[in-house]
Formats: sequence, structure tokens, C-alpha cells
Amino acid sequence: TDKSYFYTVSSTFEYLCLFHYFFSLSEAKEQVLANLANFAYDPKNMEYLRELQVPDLFLDMLTEENENFVEFGMGGLCNLSMDPGCRDIILENDGISLITNHLSNRREETVLSAVTTLMNLTTPATCSQITEPGIVQCMLRFSLAESPRLRNLASVFLQDCCSQEQVRQAELQMQGVQTAIGIPLPE
Amino acid sequence: MAVPVNNSSGCWKVPDVHKHHEQQKVCISRPKYREGRRAKAVKVYTINLESRFLMVLGVPAIGVMTELVQLCALYGVVEEYRPLDEYPAEEFTEVYLIKFQKLTSARAAKRNMDEKSFYGGVLHVCYVPEYETVEDTRLKLQDRRGYVMRAARSRAKAAHSEGSASSTTASDINVRHDQTSKKECAEDASNHSQHAEFPPLPLPPWEQHPFGHNSPHGISAQEDKMGTLHDAIINLKQPQVEKLSVNQASERDHDTEHRLTSDQASAFRFLPRSSHLEIRKRRMEEAPEQSASVSGGTETLIGPKLPEPPKLDMNDDSLNTTASLIRNTMKQVGSAPGFKAVEKKTKPRRRI
Repeated sequence: TDKSYFYTVSSTFEYLCLFHYFFSLSEAKEQVLANLANFAYDPKNMEYLRELQVPDLFLDMLTEENENFVEFGMGGLCNLSMDPGCRDIILENDGISLITNHLSNRREETVLSAVTTLMNLTTPATCSQITEPGIVQCMLRFSLAESPRLRNLASVFLQDCCSQEQVRQAELQMQGVQTAIGIPLPE
Repeated sequence: MAVPVNNSSGCWKVPDVHKHHEQQKVCISRPKYREGRRAKAVKVYTINLESRFLMVLGVPAIGVMTELVQLCALYGVVEEYRPLDEYPAEEFTEVYLIKFQKLTSARAAKRNMDEKSFYGGVLHVCYVPEYETVEDTRLKLQDRRGYVMRAARSRAKAAHSEGSASSTTASDINVRHDQTSKKECAEDASNHSQHAEFPPLPLPPWEQHPFGHNSPHGISAQEDKMGTLHDAIINLKQPQVEKLSVNQASERDHDTEHRLTSDQASAFRFLPRSSHLEIRKRRMEEAPEQSASVSGGTETLIGPKLPEPPKLDMNDDSLNTTASLIRNTMKQVGSAPGFKAVEKKTKPRRRI
């Protein structure tokens, strides 16, 4: 009878609990983190992930040294932030500044996730913070980048999230002093 | 990354080989409990990685383009296709670019064609979002956002209608799971090894205390439509626990809360970590009181004994080791001094 007991508890949610639990113990953090981030892609898992405070966990990853943790955490945020509920949690936890810091990350995948996440976080209330001159300048630089993906994504950001006036202002400012947002430090 | 270049790259430029085209190494250190049907690499998919542009590598150079496109068309409308002669390919193979009309078609095609053999070669299929235009990227993001929004809205609607119908806030997935497992149980009651979409696994040993009122999120008790064994076990256990606690500590104030919530027949319920810690702390505070009230070593226990925790046999050595590891760790964590109960309001960040 013990066995059938186990077979009855195999719902997605309980497995997510299990993942979450193992995350705190095992060495396989990276794998589990990637798993959680991929779970975040499916909207039907959003509520569970929210309940398990996974948005917080992803935000924590952004302060890790391990580049994989950062990449997977940012990927998870990119997936989660499409959902309005998760978006609000990320905003409450001061996600914007944590994410902005990684616009200068050396890994393209991390930067792309960061830009998409910032776009997802844009609401009337947060618009002014996300389209501050430093970030707009950064996106202008990205829109000239060699990588077509980054170029495209930055262009979408400039066209959809910023006003023409803001872009013009940032272009003017770029003639003079520039901010350092989005410029990776030398190796 | 952000190096500005003068955009003079002509259309005759050799396409770049991007890192995300490479087939990553399959992860070999994955524990058994997370092994899927197919070997996979550790990778996070975001909407940025996906695209309705696919690149198919490893197509044998024997003039099978038509066949390839026909194969692709099984998964959706193909808008464009062309061989990427410039792309560095393995000897005697060709590389093709396929543009689907819809992202979902590309997704299905990638899932079904990748690593499949095709006229004697093994295909490698990957997304190539670098072929997108700005407009493609915008539409892709908009579609995705719209999809997630719709899902969120329908979830809210379902929760709302369900809440008014049965005054429980069971989430729709729970319900769906109930239905599917009900069906599966009927079809396949004897043969459990084929039962679940996941391999069978025990849950980590966590407390079954029904502190429902503490849970800030309100997954409340859900009525058991299946009469599962799982709930039967809980219901067997709980009266005994209640009796004991009533005998020993009827004056404690939260006892009434116990009874109230257990009366509502708790099904399996997830407790957030913060409430686990709280319960544990409360237990530790209560432990010395209890041992004092039992009056030394006479040990005249009244009432039935609590059942022994069941020994689990997972039919597999490594799984057994894992289970006992979890059990021991939980014990250690539970007995560690200096645990602080964390308030939900402060919302602690977990460090891992």
C-alpha cells in the first residue's frame, strides 16, 4: 500500500516542490535551476512558481558569481516576467536595478534575457525608471551591435518602450558624456 | 557585445556560426529522478532563443531538398526555404534554412526532427533567431506576451468560477490532475509502472500539520474526489495525533486551531518554507514543556501510539540512498538550534 501512496502524489505541483527542495541540498543546482527556468516558460506553472517564491530565487541568482547561475536565473526571469503576477513580484523586489546591472554581462544570452525582461517589466508606473537616459543610451549602443539578435531586440525596445523624444535626447547625450551601463568590463 | 560597427555588412557575408547553433553536450550527471526519456543538455529556453526560423544541419548532399521541405511541411506552413551554401557544413552534408509561418510549427518541427535520421544522415535542427527582422522579433514577443496574458486571465477566471461554485480555491491544475489520474487509475490500476508522466517518487518528508490559516497564498483543502489512499493515510493519522495533543496539552491555545483546520479534512497541501520553519520552531519550544509534563521517567502513556514512520523501498539502491539522505538531512535541519521563524511580511530571500 505504501507504493500506491507514492503514485497518487505525482502532480506537476508536487514535482515542482520536489525540485525546489532538492535545489536547497544538492550539488546539481545548475541543472535544477535550468529546470525551474524552463518550467517558467509554461504559463500554467506560474502560480506554483510564485507560491514557491521562485521569482525571488531567480533574482538571487543575479548576484551569484557563477555565470551559468546568472544566465539561467535571468532566463527564468525573462520567462516569468511575461506573467503579470510574477512581473509585480519582480518589481516589488527591486528587480529593475538587479537586471539593469547585467546589461553589461559578457554573455549574449544573459543580456538578451535582460533586455526582454526589462521590456516585460515596463508598465505606466515603471516606464520612467526603465527608460532612464542611461538605459536608453545603452539600447542605442546595442542597436548598433554586431549580433543581429541584440540589434533587433534593442531596436524593438527603442521603438516600443521609449518615446521618440527620449531616443533623440539620448542620441544627443551620446555625443557628450556617456554612461557606463551595458559596457562590459575588460576580462 | 556592444561594439558599434558601421553597418556595411553586405548580403554576401558568410553567415556567422553562433554558439547557440552548436549541439551542447548531453548532461551525464543528471540524477536518476530527473532523467527524462531523452538525453538532453542543460539549457534554458526563453523566447529570445526561439524563432520561426530553423536551421537544419546534417542533410545528406544527395539532392533531397524537396523531401526535407515536405517533411517540414508536416509541422506547419513553410514560408521560405533555401540552402545555406555559405554555412560551414560537414563533408557531404548540406545546411538548410527553413522559415515557418508560425513559431509553434517551428517548435514542433524542431522537437520532432532534431536528432532523427534522414536519408542516412542524422539531422541537427536549431532555431536561428539571427535571421529575424526587427518586425519578426517584435511580433514574436507580442505573441508570446499575449499568450501568457490570456493564460493568466483564463486561470483567474477558472479560479473565480470554481471558488463561487464550491467555495474552495483549488487550482485548476490540481483538478486536472485529479481527472487524469482518475482516468489512468481506471485504465491501468494494476500496472503502476506505466502510470505517471513522471517516474514515481516519494515526496520529501515534510510535516502534514494543517496550518492552513498560516498559508498566505491560500491553497486550501481540496475535496478528495478519488478517495485516494494518500488521504486515507492522513485521515488515519490525524485523529490519533489530535487525541495525544489534547491529552497532553489541551490548554495550549493553538490546539483549537489544529482541530478546526483538521476538521476541514486536509488533502495534500504545500506549505511555504517560512511556515515550515515556524512550525519547527514552535515544536522545539514545546518539546521541553512536554517532556516536563510527562513527569520524568515513569512514562505512563495513555492512548494509542503514533504509527512508526513507514520505511520506504524504492526498488533501487541509488533512490534508497537518496531517500535516506533526505530523511537524515531533514532530521538534522529540524534539530539544529537557533532557527528563526521568518515572517511572511519581510519576505526573506533564500540563499542557496
